[in-house]
Amino acid sequence: MDNLFAPVDGTWQGVSPRLATVRRILIVSLAAGVALVGLVLALVPGLAAWIQVSGWVLVAASVAGGGWGWRWARRNQRSWGYTENADDLLVTRGVMFKRLVAIPYGRMQFVDVQAGPLERAFGIATVTLHTASPETAAQVPGLDAAEATRLRNRLTELGEAHGAGL
Amino acid sequence: MAPGSESPGTDDPPVEAVGLRTHPLTAVVQGALWAVAASAGLIGSILTGDGWGDLGPLISLAGALVGGLLLGMLLGYVSWRFTRYVIDGAELRIGSGVITKSSRRIPYERIQSVDIAEPLVARLFGLAELRIEMAGGKDSRTSLRFLRLSDARDLRRVLLSRAHGEEVATGEDEHRTLITRVPPERVMIGTVLSLDFLLAAVGSVVLVALAIWFGQVVVALGGIIPLGSWLAQIIALRVLQQWDFTLSRGERGLRIERGLLSRTSQTIPFNRVQGIAVKEPFVWRRLGWQRLEVDIAGYAAQGDDQGDNSSSTLLPIADPALAAAVIAELIPHASTRDLVLTRAPRRSWPFAPVGWRYRWIAADEITFVAHEGWIERTTSIVPHSKTQSVELRQGPLQRRRRVATVEVHTPKGPVDADGRHLDERAARDALLAQLARARASRA
Repeated sequence: MDNLFAPVDGTWQGVSPRLATVRRILIVSLAAGVALVGLVLALVPGLAAWIQVSGWVLVAASVAGGGWGWRWARRNQRSWGYTENADDLLVTRGVMFKRLVAIPYGRMQFVDVQAGPLERAFGIATVTLHTASPETAAQVPGLDAAEATRLRNRLTELGEAHGAGL
Repeated sequence: MAPGSESPGTDDPPVEAVGLRTHPLTAVVQGALWAVAASAGLIGSILTGDGWGDLGPLISLAGALVGGLLLGMLLGYVSWRFTRYVIDGAELRIGSGVITKSSRRIPYERIQSVDIAEPLVARLFGLAELRIEMAGGKDSRTSLRFLRLSDARDLRRVLLSRAHGEEVATGEDEHRTLITRVPPERVMIGTVLSLDFLLAAVGSVVLVALAIWFGQVVVALGGIIPLGSWLAQIIALRVLQQWDFTLSRGERGLRIERGLLSRTSQTIPFNRVQGIAVKEPFVWRRLGWQRLEVDIAGYAAQGDDQGDNSSSTLLPIADPALAAAVIAELIPHASTRDLVLTRAPRRSWPFAPVGWRYRWIAADEITFVAHEGWIERTTSIVPHSKTQSVELRQGPLQRRRRVATVEVHTPKGPVDADGRHLDERAARDALLAQLARARASRA
């Protein structure tokens, strides 16, 4: 059923493809690090045979994991979407495990904008909307820096206009 | 230093500037609490066989008692010296700290609830701790310890009336009507008939019997100590803390008073209830008994000092009629009967082979209701006006079975209004309908 996670009205606004790039950089560098350790274990002479074998296993696993991560980053980035309705913010994400969260603006307690060094270099940021419930997982990663600021300001504005206390 | 003896209004500049102090005996109580904690820790280690080096157990116990008392008294005195609080027109300010000064401002309209706790030691001195809960993560509780009991009551009345935007209340305590008093023996019977108690008790008896049968007391001790402490914990939580449980109604909320050794007095303002859970454990259900738990923002964010969340208990044991009456007090016009139920479909059985039969969600104009549980049935009731957010989820296995999970998020606490593994269309419809109802309730 495709329209199960369709927005209530309007269309999903996607996030920047640079999110996939940032994640790929992280995934590849992690995989490369693990592969390097594996290679060292496999090629240094004088180690026990089982250590050499597990070194090769490590290399294979990191290559496979890196390759999977490379594909995952793109698929996951495409799955993100958000839309601002009249009364609620809707966020969707996930390919295998799909989620759709709807947060009424009036329930918002505060908004966070975060960007790590790598994300800043690529000009993207994560906007997180907090309610009084810790279960509310309303974060939108991979927004253009300008869009992130706009969304934050807009949400804060709407939150004040709709504010309903607790 | 007594807040009741001075006017808590804004028209008293000296009070404003200097601030009020907590009771001077705070230091002694603090010391005693430390001593108890220190010796309790030591008794535990003596029981498991290692004491304090070469010292005999009695000497080290005495050392812990005296040391804890002196250290606690010293620290308690210093922190008492540097703690002041000010009540003004808009907020309560508490300043504390010797080296790192900290000042906390509590705007009245943000107060979720105000509780009075009397730990046993403080109770002996006629002192009490005032706990002010605000919404938010950790650190949302502010404690004033310790005040004279009557002062704590006065202060609570002032704070609660200010929290409702009223001016300072009149001198005497507001009129309260008793809703129910749960007799201790009923709580005890209820505890004895709960499954975890039965399990712990039967387990202990079996272990003791085995130990005697095989004559290996030492080996069995390893199993008896955890089981025994579990048993003791159950009794402490469910019997001692819920002793003489009294629920009454005031103008602004329900009042709970409970406890045998340490007394606690909680206030639940009517409009601050985020959700109620009706729990029907296995044995109780056959006898028609229920337990009510309540979500108040701030309560569950930190466990109690004992590491439990017994403060979220609204009624430890009750029959359905009384439970329904109490729910109606807190969420007027909420009906848990005559609802149109959205049940989990039969094809969701792989996720809960037995439990799928008992899963349903429903909603009326006031509340969202979710029901689940096979051994312990739980009915969660969340007012639409308190809906924080709504979520729809589906994993790969759920997709194959064409089911999905819908969750109505509430602040942290015992209430979890989740409709898991419902028909996917029904789940999406429930999400949309819930958004519309939440919107209508805020309008």
